Amino acid sequence: MTTVDERMVFLDGSRLIIEAMARAGAGAYIGYPITPVNWLFAGAKQRIPIALEAPDEITALQWAAGFSSSGVFPVTASAFPGFALMIESINMSFMMELPMVIILAQRLGPSTGSATTGGQGDLLLLRGCISGGYSLPVFCPSNLNDCWDMAAASVHTAVNLRTPVVLLTSKEMVMTNQNMDISGLKEVERAERHMHEGNGEYKTYGVNGNLAPPFLPLGNDLHQVRLNSSTHDMEGITQKNSPEALGNTERLKNKIEQSIDDFTYYDHDRDEGADTVILTYGISAEAAREAVGLLRAGGEPVSLLVMKTLLPVPPRIYELLASYAHVVVVEENIVGLLRELLYGNHQHDRIHGVNKIGHMITPQEIAEGVRQCRKPS
Amino acid sequence: MQEAILNDLKMPYCPGCGHTVANKSMSKALADMGVHPLDVIVVSDIGCTGLVDPLLTCHTIHGLHGRAVALAMGIRMGLEHPDKKIIALQGDGGATIGLQHLLEAARHNLDLTLVVQNNMVYGMTGGQTSGLSSTEFKEPDRPEAAVPGYDICALAHNAGAAYTARTFIGKDTAELWKEALSTPGFSLIEIVEMCPAYGMRKVQELHDTADYESVVTRNTRTVGLPHRMTGRSLLDGLKPIEHTCEAPLDGRLEIIVAGSAGEAIQSAGDLLSTAGITAGLSATKKGDYPITIGTGFSVAEVILSRQPIHYTGIDCPDIMIVISQDGLDKVRSRIGEHTLVIADTKLGPELAGLAGQPGLPGPIGPNGLPGPTGPNGLPNLVTRDFRKTGGSKGAALAAIAHWLQDNGFLPIEALIEAAGRHKHGDKMKVIIDKAIAA
Repeated sequence: MTTVDERMVFLDGSRLIIEAMARAGAGAYIGYPITPVNWLFAGAKQRIPIALEAPDEITALQWAAGFSSSGVFPVTASAFPGFALMIESINMSFMMELPMVIILAQRLGPSTGSATTGGQGDLLLLRGCISGGYSLPVFCPSNLNDCWDMAAASVHTAVNLRTPVVLLTSKEMVMTNQNMDISGLKEVERAERHMHEGNGEYKTYGVNGNLAPPFLPLGNDLHQVRLNSSTHDMEGITQKNSPEALGNTERLKNKIEQSIDDFTYYDHDRDEGADTVILTYGISAEAAREAVGLLRAGGEPVSLLVMKTLLPVPPRIYELLASYAHVVVVEENIVGLLRELLYGNHQHDRIHGVNKIGHMITPQEIAEGVRQCRKPS
Repeated sequence: MQEAILNDLKMPYCPGCGHTVANKSMSKALADMGVHPLDVIVVSDIGCTGLVDPLLTCHTIHGLHGRAVALAMGIRMGLEHPDKKIIALQGDGGATIGLQHLLEAARHNLDLTLVVQNNMVYGMTGGQTSGLSSTEFKEPDRPEAAVPGYDICALAHNAGAAYTARTFIGKDTAELWKEALSTPGFSLIEIVEMCPAYGMRKVQELHDTADYESVVTRNTRTVGLPHRMTGRSLLDGLKPIEHTCEAPLDGRLEIIVAGSAGEAIQSAGDLLSTAGITAGLSATKKGDYPITIGTGFSVAEVILSRQPIHYTGIDCPDIMIVISQDGLDKVRSRIGEHTLVIADTKLGPELAGLAGQPGLPGPIGPNGLPGPTGPNGLPNLVTRDFRKTGGSKGAALAAIAHWLQDNGFLPIEALIEAAGRHKHGDKMKVIIDKAIAA
């Protein structure tokens, strides 16, 4: 029977993501309608102080950048077709160092594909979407609890590092209702920007030894702010390739890579007797959890590693994977995007894939994949 | 004397370029108006107009080609200080690549000023013409029958801009800048200029073309502002589901409810899930329907389980409740050997016709009574006139109630309690009662 503290409800991941982001300080949601982010948009209209309908996804990102440069934290959401339109503006926001979160709900591609079918086909798009190869921080919830925790982590990381962050999810996560006891949700703190204080000299991109510059909004009464999408010096003035400007660009790489330990999230369910680990993320993680149960119940030891920080790839992930003879990478695509991200195009003998499109990968298929990889070739 | 918005740096433009004059007009207008530089935000586009940032003592933001107006809109909506002046500077190339943004800004009538410095040419990239180029423009490779340019002032005016003006660079444009900057709402000035590197060579030639004429137009409209609200928690409004009774179900049960749009299939799925939670089970539910929400099939997939549910997919369900032809057409292929099908009477003949095929239910009798039992010991096809019991919007619920009453996977009290939480709970309870009685 229900305990005193329990609050069992029936809800979807969209609701948790929007609520957590609102609590973390999201002040504006700018949306352009696209399936499967419908419920995120609907939730934002009830929860986020300013919720706007943009006429297209390029506008959505430009408005988001405008809000962010004014000091308001913006969130937007889309699927691949809309995200593709956003990419130039995400680059702009990355270069200007404007914090924001873009929720990317994957669906079956390529192109418009199938709007109401799930998928996990956009990982390498995110890895390559910033010209120059820089990584955006990318988080990925694997269940309802993660929808809450990773949404909050996305906002905090974006604010702390002054960068756009992507929350990568999928149709199955944001449009499936599940029961959940919400009394156990962690408290979400409001993310506060590191502001420049005082009347002393202010350079928009002056970091004073920090990784990210302190913030002042456009229009403030104390200091001139110069935000710039082109290669620029610390003042924010366009430079072709001066050492100062190139140093500033290099910092954009360093600030994220050097902070990775601060935003590394994963679940590692280690079975001490196992020589095989299932590696997965997002919606396939839930099937993998059931597969682990099936295998262990049958006396077959196996470990599970669920990545929740996908980009940049946390060094800790490689350390954990190194201890296994076999790695079975489970993802809902037929190319093996995570495999390629981690191990390149040369597929090692110890790396195996369980892949599929059009339907969720089942626990049985994952269990079978684990058994196959252990068979002598 | 107010601090100047232009600093002492040399203008980076070619001799004779209109941009130099335009920037000085902007500076003069702001100085005359007594606006402090830190009360101004200049949003600059790509192209020669975008070289202005280093010259300015105000706030600057330099973005993408064609997006300056959209970016300026975001800033205006985010700023809490309506007194700050926001000026977007674009060339003719930026104005046309971002034409949608320009129209959107005019439609919203947000308080900002866009100045389109139309020199009719992509000067940085080889002198290509733009959508604002004069038909008289002298580009070597241009076809004889040049396509006329947009009348960008007319477009902005028709989209709702508070103020639009077109002028020529030979004139002092400061007065127009002042007018635009002091007009609440969206204002646009198109300054027809010359690029000294390409095209027309004399200011007089601009005046002689029929493509442009000086205009000033106005719309009297409310100034746009984003609606701000105090958001309410998305969790606080969720009424907790009390675990008040017990279900005998020990494992996992996968159920598909299928019908047509408008037949409350999703509500029925939610209700069944809530009933399961009321009885101490875990539940998941997902909907499937065509993008044309008002027609075609509607399918709800529900899983109930004694254990926590991780994998939320259903391939071949344990139970399939089908109340319409649309629904049957969608889920027919998912009926398996062990699936118990509970269907509306009208679907009986077709389901009976499927008899004998591997993996499909056995036959039903001519009177619609259950056919032979399936491998799980239960009858694997049940048909009833659920539409008569529940109407089109209550047939799925009636079928669920009938099924629960028959097999006891969940106590019927759980379904009644779940219905009690619903805004149409009273009607639902009537349907449940009728289904039980039937």
